[in-house]
Amino acid sequence: MSAVSPDGATPLLQVEDLHVAFDTRQGAVTALDGVSFSLAAGETLGIVGESGCGKSITALALMGLIPAPPGRLTGGRIDFAGRDIARLAESELRRLRGRDIAMIFQEPMTSLNPVFPVGAQIAEAILLHREIDRQAARREAVALLRTVGIPDAERRATAYPHELSGGMRQRVMIAMAISCRPKVLIADEPTTALDVTVQAQIFELMRRIQDEFGVALMLITHDMGAIAEMADRVAVMYAGRIVEQGLADDVLDRPLHPYTRGLIDCIPVLGKAAPDGRPPALSEIPGVVPPLHLIGDGCAFADRCSLAEPRCRRERPPLTGRRHGVACHVTAAQAT
Amino acid sequence: MSAVTERPAAAPARPVSPFGEAWRMFRSNRPALFGLVLLGAIVAAVGYGTLFHPADPYEIVWAPLAAPGEAEGVPLGTDYIGRDILAGLLKGGGPTLAVGAAAALITVAIGITVGALAGFFGGWIDNLLMRLTEFFQVLPALLFAMVLVTLFSPSLTTIAVAIGVVSWPQTARLTRAEFLRIRELEYVTAARAVGARNGRIIGRVILPNALPPLIVSATLTVGVAILFEAGLSFLGLGDPNTMSWGLMIGANRAYILEAWWPVTFPGLAIFLTVLAVSLVGDGLNDAFNPKLRQR
Amino acid sequence: MLFVLKRLLFGLALLVGVVVLNFLLIRLAPGDAAAVIAGEMGGASEEILARIRSEYGLDKPILVQLGIYLADVLRGDLGQSYYFNQPVTALIAARIGPTILLVLTAQLFAIGLGVFMGVLAARRPQGWLSATVAVLSTVGYAAPVFWTGIMLTILFASMLPLFPVEGMVSARFDGNAFDYALDVAHHLVLPALTLGIIFLAQYARLSRAAMIEVLGADYVRTARAKGVRERSVVFKHALRNAVLPILTVAGLQFGNLISGALLVETVFNWPGMGRLAFESILRRDYPLLLGVLFFSALMVIVANLLTDLSYRLADPRIDQEGRRA
Repeated sequence: MSAVSPDGATPLLQVEDLHVAFDTRQGAVTALDGVSFSLAAGETLGIVGESGCGKSITALALMGLIPAPPGRLTGGRIDFAGRDIARLAESELRRLRGRDIAMIFQEPMTSLNPVFPVGAQIAEAILLHREIDRQAARREAVALLRTVGIPDAERRATAYPHELSGGMRQRVMIAMAISCRPKVLIADEPTTALDVTVQAQIFELMRRIQDEFGVALMLITHDMGAIAEMADRVAVMYAGRIVEQGLADDVLDRPLHPYTRGLIDCIPVLGKAAPDGRPPALSEIPGVVPPLHLIGDGCAFADRCSLAEPRCRRERPPLTGRRHGVACHVTAAQAT
Repeated sequence: MSAVTERPAAAPARPVSPFGEAWRMFRSNRPALFGLVLLGAIVAAVGYGTLFHPADPYEIVWAPLAAPGEAEGVPLGTDYIGRDILAGLLKGGGPTLAVGAAAALITVAIGITVGALAGFFGGWIDNLLMRLTEFFQVLPALLFAMVLVTLFSPSLTTIAVAIGVVSWPQTARLTRAEFLRIRELEYVTAARAVGARNGRIIGRVILPNALPPLIVSATLTVGVAILFEAGLSFLGLGDPNTMSWGLMIGANRAYILEAWWPVTFPGLAIFLTVLAVSLVGDGLNDAFNPKLRQR
Repeated sequence: MLFVLKRLLFGLALLVGVVVLNFLLIRLAPGDAAAVIAGEMGGASEEILARIRSEYGLDKPILVQLGIYLADVLRGDLGQSYYFNQPVTALIAARIGPTILLVLTAQLFAIGLGVFMGVLAARRPQGWLSATVAVLSTVGYAAPVFWTGIMLTILFASMLPLFPVEGMVSARFDGNAFDYALDVAHHLVLPALTLGIIFLAQYARLSRAAMIEVLGADYVRTARAKGVRERSVVFKHALRNAVLPILTVAGLQFGNLISGALLVETVFNWPGMGRLAFESILRRDYPLLLGVLFFSALMVIVANLLTDLSYRLADPRIDQEGRRA
């Protein structure tokens, strides 16, 4: 189960056997069920899966931001710089957030506070974590806006979020996230709410930021295309568990888990058309993610899987393999 | 309640009617059920209480300001001239409740008319009616009602009308908002497409779908109207010849330091009545908007 | 600036409308003003009535009377009280201060404590404070304000003589300005509490709902992700947004506050406009009544204007037309 980082280097962040549960009227529901992965400095880890698979919960757990109640960490460790985030006190977590681990959210439209100018919101993050006076923080905020490619940054710093476009707002979010030179940057569906052309610009910006600041990036997405473009390594999540992980090239070229194959088949391929000339139909995985409280002892994907065997419904497959791992009874033999 | 729950049968073709579901929600809401029972008890006491306590509220039955229990047959004591307070409560509740209900009806009638016209037609009609509404909101309602009641000589009718005239703007705003929302929905467009006349669209298509919040608002308006009536009577601006709870408080106010009971009991009666009405109103609100229950 | 000007003009138009409506309402209502004035003087022969009519201009056509009245109002002359035989403006000037003091104190108390309670309750939507706020808002709303006042009077007059239950200043007061202010504040406690209680619970309920919504907003999560302290998340990031609906309601409550003040002033013998309004209505003192209505409307309009302005300061999304972007 232990995750391995590339090249055997000591990872920056190591998540081990993480469990998160939510208390609901139907009782405690497991949202994360033994998630393990690692992240090294400067690399990009893609976490991919449909909504509700536990991607965002994983991100929030790393920030110590699982909404409690009803959520709670029920097991596992999150080792970061010699400390276990899962066991830190709130005051220590607060010092960590924004300074060591920063996060960019899905909705740039609603993720910025509508009643404060964007410059002030960036300056606030700087003032929280650095010994610096208000004026200097202000100047730094303007410089950051320039860094993320906002023209006329001096003036834009005094603008309110509603006066900026979606792409601009996401740039502001990125500026805020990198303002304290974090070691880890978590981007939760950073481009989902944006136009396709703006998406490309934001990815381009994130790559540049990563080169410039050497930050480790954890990119959460449901879009295999984004993974192909950005990620060094990838972890595929399904119903609160990692079902496949490995180098992005391996996983994309040679997906092992039937679920991963389904996700890859969802990517429309340009120029590839059916023999009759019509564009290919987007293949979709039949069915939906089962409600988390209804998952039994078997593989959570069994009911949607075309390869499922009787034992898939009885026994939960472990994640096997060191380089390219998969949690599947049927394809386990191909893991490396 | 049953009249409300049977409503869906009258409008089968419209989108799913919320009334049946609402009654189910309402029944499981304890404060609301308590309010309903309390309200029923108060109405029953006001309607039939004199059968059990057949006393004349205007007759002097004992020494003034006799404490509760001091005199036989006068369980809640006597007022400042020696009249039976319980008899006053039973007799005075009728006008209070009647004025409350009538005023609420008038409020809702004016409010729905103004709001529906403004919301449905929009444009200059909306503008005009909304300016009128703002205009009515500028004068403190109680003061305005005081003036109206006095100018047109106090009687139960005048009081009910006056309260209605000063309190409709809120209902109008609510109705307008609902109409603005609903008139854009598909079934309204469909009704237009088959050539329904405006009157029919307003009355038969939009209004039934706007009813849930309006019913809640109307219920709460009954409470407001009862408080208004009490306030006017307390000030001595009500009908001086009709026993009412507010009047009892106003009349006995000078003696509060000698006797607490002549003002406490009528006040309690008003309080419980308004409480019951607003519990029912809140319950209806929760029943019609289950999503808002967490609030 | 354009917006302020527009609101001012609209407020002015509203005020003129109020004056016209009230003037017509009172003049067209059944009853003869001359007889009322004559009644105060003691006699009512037809000859005296005629003289009164011409003296007060009551024999002119109603629209002419209206024009004269409006012209007088513009000059700041609201006429002479029939009953008190003093200029209406002087009578009101003596009474409006205590009413404004009472209304503002009650409003500030209600908003301050109410919002504080609501914010705390929102942190635990199922907690005991939330339940208290829910009960309090229903109970506070259902108790008639004058009755609450009387109950407090009974309590504080005999059992707990901490606060005076009558008037605004002690009867035999002699002292400096500071002692005077203290004395007034001491007298203000019970009336302001009585009036404030109804609204307190409403603000608590409203701000609880607004805060619960805002605390679930994405930007609050962003603030937490930046490492902002929880206290600052709640009172800076969230409350700044939750305050917007509260402001709107606060503006709309001024009319109700003045209505409530009329009753509270009666209960506690507070020397404000309530008493004056009551007298003018009972005695059919029309110039005074018109003056009272005029100033009540003026207070509400000014309060609404101030609310509008503060709303615009609080929400940067409001554009020149007053709409939300």
